[in-house]
Amino acid sequence: MRRSPLFTGIAAITCLTLSLSGCAGGSTAGSGSSTPTVGSAPDLSSAAGPTSAESTPSDPTSSAGTPSGSNSTSAGDESATSSAPAGSGKACAGSIGFMGPITGSAAAIGGEQLHFAELAVKNFNAQNGSTYDVVQGDTQLDPGQASTVGQQFVSNDAILGVVGPAGSQEVDAIGPVYSQASLSFVSSSATATELTAGKYSSFFRTIPNDSVQGPTDATFIAEKLNAKNVVIVQEKTSYGQGLAASVGDALKAKGVTVNIVQVSKDQPDYSAVVTKVAADTDVVFATFQIAANTQVLATQLKQQGKQAAVFGSDGSFSADFKTPGGYVSSFAPDVKSIPSAAEVVKAYTSAYGDFATTYGPPTYVAAQAILQAAQRACQAGSSDRAAVLAQMKSTSITDSILGGTLTFTASGDVEGAKFYVFKIGTDGVPALVQ
Amino acid sequence: MEFFGQQLVNGLTLGSVYALIALGYTLIYGVLQLLNFAHGDVYMVGAFIGFFVMIGLGGPAAPMVPVWLMIVAMFLAAMLGSGILGVLIEQFAYRPLRNSPRIAPLISALGVSLFLQNAVLLLFGPRIRDYATTEYIPIGSGFSIGSIRLDPMRILVVVLSVILMFVLVRLVNRTRFGRGMRAVAFDREAAVMMGIDVNRVVVLTFFCASALAGAAGVMVGLVFFNVSNFMGFLAGLKGFTAAVVGGIGSVGGAMVGGLLIGLLEAFATGYLSANRPTRSPSSL
Amino acid sequence: MSGDDSSDGASVDGAPVDGAPITGSDAISGDPGSGPETLAVSALNIGTDEWVAQHETRTSTGHGVGARVNALWMSGPAAVRWGLPLLVFVLFPVLVSDGYLLRIGVNLGLFALLALGLNVVIGYAGLLDLGFVAFYGCGAYAYALLSSDKLGVHLPTWLSVPAAVLFTALIGLLVSLPSRRLSGDYLAIVTLFFGQIFTELVLAGDAVSLPGASDPVDITGGANGISGVSGWSVFGFSFNTNRSYYYLVLFFVVVLVLGLGRISRSRMGRAWRAIGEDPLAAASMTIRVNRLKLLAFVVGAGIAGLSGTIFSAVQVGVYASSFDLPMLILLYAAVILGGSGSLPGTLIGAAIMSVLPEVLRQPTYSELLFFVGLVAGVLWILKPKIGALVLAATVAVGFAINIVLLAVGVPYLSAAEWTQGVIGELLGRWLFVPQDRLLWGNVAFVLLIIAVAAFSRMHGRAKMWFLPLLLWLSVFVWMVRLSTEASLTRQLVIGATLVVLMIARPQGIFGKQRVEVL
Repeated sequence: MRRSPLFTGIAAITCLTLSLSGCAGGSTAGSGSSTPTVGSAPDLSSAAGPTSAESTPSDPTSSAGTPSGSNSTSAGDESATSSAPAGSGKACAGSIGFMGPITGSAAAIGGEQLHFAELAVKNFNAQNGSTYDVVQGDTQLDPGQASTVGQQFVSNDAILGVVGPAGSQEVDAIGPVYSQASLSFVSSSATATELTAGKYSSFFRTIPNDSVQGPTDATFIAEKLNAKNVVIVQEKTSYGQGLAASVGDALKAKGVTVNIVQVSKDQPDYSAVVTKVAADTDVVFATFQIAANTQVLATQLKQQGKQAAVFGSDGSFSADFKTPGGYVSSFAPDVKSIPSAAEVVKAYTSAYGDFATTYGPPTYVAAQAILQAAQRACQAGSSDRAAVLAQMKSTSITDSILGGTLTFTASGDVEGAKFYVFKIGTDGVPALVQ
Repeated sequence: MEFFGQQLVNGLTLGSVYALIALGYTLIYGVLQLLNFAHGDVYMVGAFIGFFVMIGLGGPAAPMVPVWLMIVAMFLAAMLGSGILGVLIEQFAYRPLRNSPRIAPLISALGVSLFLQNAVLLLFGPRIRDYATTEYIPIGSGFSIGSIRLDPMRILVVVLSVILMFVLVRLVNRTRFGRGMRAVAFDREAAVMMGIDVNRVVVLTFFCASALAGAAGVMVGLVFFNVSNFMGFLAGLKGFTAAVVGGIGSVGGAMVGGLLIGLLEAFATGYLSANRPTRSPSSL
Repeated sequence: MSGDDSSDGASVDGAPVDGAPITGSDAISGDPGSGPETLAVSALNIGTDEWVAQHETRTSTGHGVGARVNALWMSGPAAVRWGLPLLVFVLFPVLVSDGYLLRIGVNLGLFALLALGLNVVIGYAGLLDLGFVAFYGCGAYAYALLSSDKLGVHLPTWLSVPAAVLFTALIGLLVSLPSRRLSGDYLAIVTLFFGQIFTELVLAGDAVSLPGASDPVDITGGANGISGVSGWSVFGFSFNTNRSYYYLVLFFVVVLVLGLGRISRSRMGRAWRAIGEDPLAAASMTIRVNRLKLLAFVVGAGIAGLSGTIFSAVQVGVYASSFDLPMLILLYAAVILGGSGSLPGTLIGAAIMSVLPEVLRQPTYSELLFFVGLVAGVLWILKPKIGALVLAATVAVGFAINIVLLAVGVPYLSAAEWTQGVIGELLGRWLFVPQDRLLWGNVAFVLLIIAVAAFSRMHGRAKMWFLPLLLWLSVFVWMVRLSTEASLTRQLVIGATLVVLMIARPQGIFGKQRVEVL
């Protein structure tokens, strides 16, 4: 404050000087400085000449170039999936909202979801000449934040559809608002069964719900593994709660003795829980959202000499859970083994590095679904949310990276959802057993 | 009895880690009356440094150096790195607030904690990192007492933390620096008058405390395998609790408090938390 | 506005006499009727010194535009100073129809309510209560259970809200009873435990074995929470829009500010602050320390419970994760940032901590904030002329680095591939953006942290020479890496802002400088 008398004037002069040289300082300057900027622009670009030149670098190792390059090859088989072939029609634009735990304790899930969504948009734009973009909405898996972000997305007219949110409670928190606004939202990780019971008219999901997974896993455990005593390690999250209840009930109905042990989601150590697992336990069913946690549980079981097999739910289906003899269920075959997904996996790894959770690829598909609906609506002449929602209902993604064709049921669930069970071999790679 | 013994082992391992974190809290509190809520994140950074040293030395599957050397290198690098980080944090976030209300550094500590968590997320991505200890120290290479399993890493963690605590106690009680530390803790103004360089003492204290946290980070990686950018939050909280339970400011108290919390956690899981009741099948 | 708490004119006897330090909180020494107490306190030499506290006001008055505006503002009557902002807030929903902005308004109001409650506990009575959000959760859950299908109970609002608030206050009493003799960090740990136990109970509350029932009963919904909570409905008016809740929250904020303002000036408020300053001294002045501590706790809990009932109605559901530590951290930051113990400070702190994260959600705003902050910061801290030179040098450094990197042959992105917005247009010609943004950005980020560390160790001229490089590096990091990770950047900026704000103003925006006289 003490320097204020001089400050304003000198700041203005400085900024003028700066905008003369075309730098960021111009942002604080008044509008009066815009003319000199234009005047000095030519010699600027000559100073930084090569920077602004539109030359493609010869270096093939550069990561940013690779995905877009590989897109063009994948465009051939994937453009057939969208109703509009590449190049035809007008350039469509709009925004896709992304909701997920990008930071905070569940960042391991949300970070990959975000990157897959971004990749989907990038690929789609490259194929269709459209200019869709992603608006990030970080919820940290907290329904309170989700409902604020939800309001933000509803208020942002550019947003045609939302990928996410990640958690089932978050869907509950924003469902009424989105349904009222006819804003389509496609979750790739919210599995609570009742979400698609007609509560929210614009809700879809690209993964099956707990009512599919629970009985599948329970039947496998009781009939194929002939388990008599099962311990369910339940993560204290919405995901773990729903799944543990669903599997537990189904197992009990088959006459299996079930014990549920709860663990906190940020807990680093499960050895105390492992010690509690009785020696005659046949199967330990783990409901972790993150495969790395299941791996710790399985290793600690081995360290304490327990013979029980670990059965991981779909959250565990990733290369991070690699204990031989373990079982894991999943709603899709391994994405890294599906031919139609190879390009996407390659593009992802070169842009963002390896991925480890299950929920990335379904997010890619979720984004695809919205993008295609938006594109169809746009080409039909109206790109408002209601039109996109109407198109969403007729989504059909052939050769999706989850394998097969993805369509939605009337209530928003995946059509013909089924679960696969894998057994992890001695090499740590899961092989399909059911 | 075997159940009890195994839970004792579980609790002691966890407790040793908490004790090391609690020691850091207590040292810093003792000297500056400051609750360093960024301490848990220093520990997290230590765990990451250890992880990348391991990767740098060839990774868990094919280490280029003998395993013992790799582990020593992980510990040394993590302790050094965390120590330097701690000193930096002190210089940036706490030194300007040395004479402010006690609660002010608390908030700047929370700011540092948020920053560190997300800086690590930015640099290394959201993926959870796996120390994969069992690849170079096979399961079952420890020994058993009855059916109580003693994993070599668990033994290492307990022994190493006892050694570190012992070194720290010697440092505080027997050296010139320790004397300075106690003097500053007792009365900062008087210490200044006696010609003690308070800043030097504070910097060294932060270095020691953070180095302990770094060691704890590597230990957690070695025993519990997973490290993530968010791991410091809960661990820091547990360490803080341990420090307060043991009487904050007291070195011995922090050790006891840490072990107590670890044991409590293991036995609570073992004995108190009954298996959850499940609904009867009729509710299907 | 900072005059609120000290407006009773403590300066009457605010000058040092005979070199004896003036002691105690201003409220005590300022009360004409408490002569003997003043004497009693002066034995204890820690507190807010009036004369020192005014140091800043004295040195800054009469200089510069900002100070003049401030002086003009402070010279107005209190009614205007409070009334004008209030008018803005009352008119806000009329002028704005955007649901998101209204929602931010509701969040801000809820946050302000909570901060006001916490201010009673920590700002007045000085109790480090780390379980405060659990009371918020208690209120929210109590209301949700009384007005949702979970238990099939739908009590009318005039019954359910008081019940929830009373329940929360009762819990507050129960928690504070055993811990009333604890102080400082020990109280902190007990309340922290309470907060953790609350979360655990709520998470485990989906399968409770009741004596009478054969099957476990679902009470709290566990991690799934309770959804479908019905809204408030008073005198036949149902609250179901953000706008209506905005006014509801605003009403309670105004009532609380008026009420707490009165309490703070009353005998009880003064006693609270005396306890906060020094419980021992307070006790020796016959203040009933324990009883007042309990009261502060209960009042704080009640306010938190009230905001909880509104929160669960606004959100149409309650979930355990809303009442965990991140919320507590934000709340403490709000109260302390604003200046613990000051009403306007608390409100401003709440505004910063609830609006700033939302502003930063928009990448364009956070980018603007970054560049304006950078340039303004340089011009503000340095002498303007030198600052301008430094900025010019930064521009030059940028071009120099371009030439070097191009000569080396680093693959780069053309401007069209990465620029967006006004700032992007300007930067497009100047900044070198390599193709591998991930790698370069990460390396530069680490370098930046090292550079800042090195910078802080430098002195005099070296600092000036180094600054342009530092500025270029920070712009590089921002554009190359941070701008691609908007949500991470948001958290990083919030963290850095907390540190910078606390360093810039350790006592909080409206706080008074404490001076400890030994």
